[in-house]
Amino acid sequence: MSQNTTVKIDRPGSWEDGRAKNVTFVVTEDCQLACRYCYLVGKNKSGRMNFETAKKAVDYLLREEKFLAEKSVVLDFIGGEPLLEIELIDKICDYFKLKSYELNHPWFDSYRISFSTNGLMYSDKRVQEFIRKNKTHLSIQITIDGTKVKHDTQRVYPDGRGSYDNVLKNIRLWTSQFPETSTKVTISGDDIPYIKESVLHIWSLGIKEVNINAVFEDAWKPGDDELFEEQLTELADEIIEKKLYKEYTCSFFSRTIGHPYEQNVNWCGAGKMLAFDFKGDIYPCIRFIEFSLQNRKGIIVGNLDKGIDENRLRPFLTLDMVSQSPDECINCDVASGCAWCQGANYDFAETGTIFRRATYICKMHKARVRANNYFWNKLGRRLKTDLRETNPDTCQC
Amino acid sequence: MPMLKYLIIILNDASVSFCHYESAKTGKKEAGMISYDNLNKAVAFALKNNLKVNFLYPRFRPGKKYEKLIEDVEHVKIVPRKLGGVYSDAITVLEAGDLRKENKVTGTENIILRLSSPELKILPAAVKEIARKGGRINLVIKDVENFGDSKISEYRKLLAEISGLLIKKSGENSIPEVNFLTDRLMLESMNNCDAGITHLTVAPDGRLYLCPAFYYESGENSIGEIRNEINIKNRQLLELKYSPVCRICDAYQCRRCVFLNWKLTGELNTPSRQQCRMSHAEREASGNMLEELKKKNFKGAKGIEIKKLGYDDPFEIAVKNRYSIQEFKNFNS
Ligand code: SF4
Ligand code: SF4
Repeated sequence: MSQNTTVKIDRPGSWEDGRAKNVTFVVTEDCQLACRYCYLVGKNKSGRMNFETAKKAVDYLLREEKFLAEKSVVLDFIGGEPLLEIELIDKICDYFKLKSYELNHPWFDSYRISFSTNGLMYSDKRVQEFIRKNKTHLSIQITIDGTKVKHDTQRVYPDGRGSYDNVLKNIRLWTSQFPETSTKVTISGDDIPYIKESVLHIWSLGIKEVNINAVFEDAWKPGDDELFEEQLTELADEIIEKKLYKEYTCSFFSRTIGHPYEQNVNWCGAGKMLAFDFKGDIYPCIRFIEFSLQNRKGIIVGNLDKGIDENRLRPFLTLDMVSQSPDECINCDVASGCAWCQGANYDFAETGTIFRRATYICKMHKARVRANNYFWNKLGRRLKTDLRETNPDTCQC
Repeated sequence: MPMLKYLIIILNDASVSFCHYESAKTGKKEAGMISYDNLNKAVAFALKNNLKVNFLYPRFRPGKKYEKLIEDVEHVKIVPRKLGGVYSDAITVLEAGDLRKENKVTGTENIILRLSSPELKILPAAVKEIARKGGRINLVIKDVENFGDSKISEYRKLLAEISGLLIKKSGENSIPEVNFLTDRLMLESMNNCDAGITHLTVAPDGRLYLCPAFYYESGENSIGEIRNEINIKNRQLLELKYSPVCRICDAYQCRRCVFLNWKLTGELNTPSRQQCRMSHAEREASGNMLEELKKKNFKGAKGIEIKKLGYDDPFEIAVKNRYSIQEFKNFNS
């Protein structure tokens, strides 16, 4: 395996190397925006968590010995738009700190608080106060999809207006408070022609890490893969010419993708993570909550009164790559890094199962692999070193 | 890949249950009956595809016209106690109440015995009786979902007691057959129910189901009409190869009931903890019995080994040790 420490492009920072228990609180199902690709199909104003339910969830997490296998915890607050409930989140975090201290729980000094927000409320006084209070334990991601044109194609208010200008106002404050921060970009079809300029634009705003996903839905038209490959190749050239690989990170380019499978592991962490909704029901991840699903009922694995039904978790904990993949995927020469989402699989499967992988993304992955090969081979020639390597595939979610 | 071998036809909504589900308790004779046309279609389908049929009977005879059609196809009749002596070629399903009433097993030598956990205490008496007649018991436990820690340990004790009885009655080559203890002595590979693979069910509504349990759960579970090309969506999930827990298991006698899997874990291919622990209690008891039988020079289980295991639920192993891609590719059901 070759290491080249000047190349940072595929070395994202990840707290505790993915070994923490990831717990999601769905504090609200409401949001100010109506993004066109949003998987939360059932957004509404009534689904709001109250403090009593949240307390019960914290008590449950700290009481159950089985969770101690994970030495750390990530408390992830999600919506809808989580910052709409910043006061509640503040109370939940205080309660977590107090209780874990009282119980002398190992998570007391090994926790992180994390949000992914649309950024519209970032400069709000209550949000800023929360940041001041929790800064050392906090990761905040503001979602910005790239240039104004690309962002406003997707991330719109219910009346169709784009949200870019209002988010941008808060970006500078955010990057000044969290210089090592990252953002998440979703590609869903019409926005392919803007990929290159969007990544460069986000970097120019001071956000050094860009994580990009193509949606898992049946959203791709013939020719999209070629356009995608073209965009990534142009981006690759720009990164190499301007030596941007030394300072910036972009999840499109990774040395671990595009190899045959070596290990039979599941991509997705559903079931190892947990999500609590406002009713006190427990889910394997937010994508199994009814409001995230288009075609199927939610999968509830327990509730805060009775705890988790271990039987309901068994499929999630034993699900592996081979049992859900078509033969074509198992035997694919460029399989590694081809992502899936268990919730999306379940939603799109012909029968209500998590054991069937949706492969709408296949052509897009292959396009990405070609552009990725182009990037690493060319960069390797320039740097006079072999930069390719293989690695097991697991998801960071 | 194994193929379809037989068809189960439920003649009436109130037909006897022979497995892990309850049928409709009462049924108006005519109202709950499969229509003659649908029965005709189902029988023709069986004849054209070389399938044997298991007919599930209600408490009454279905009438001459139906009986004529039934006789046209190779079949087994599965009947409730009430029709026990009526047909010479029938398998009778008995419930605890049937045994209590008569205090013995009558009418047939091969029986299906459906008991819930509190009723299991009558099992030793039933085993003695059937052993005396040289018959076979197929036990079906009606409430697998209730087998938590305490029920499992009671079940273990019961299995040990019945093993003792069987050992006493065994000869050099034979042993009275009870599925939950003696099947494992004879098996070298999985012998599961295989609903949807080796058999399908035609319900009184004339449509196809994976097994009767899915019909009684909801008509929405139908996999379609009777026709030549049957397309079961995600059929692979019924196969052993696609069950990460079961494919590493050697409790070969287990029914591996896909209906209970689906009810308790939400997935056809994933067994519940209760199911696995129950089957492993049986597997362990069979293993202990085998040791004793070997001392008695028993030759009926030649070549069979039942190793001691350090776990009672293969789930624990499936979670820890991932099957390799190569093992999966080489897997042969
Ligand atoms: S799947 Fe098989 S074992 Fe389970 S209820 Fe149906 S017929 Fe019985
Ligand atoms: S004991 Fe469990 S793992 Fe083994 S065959 Fe039965 S259901 Fe499957």
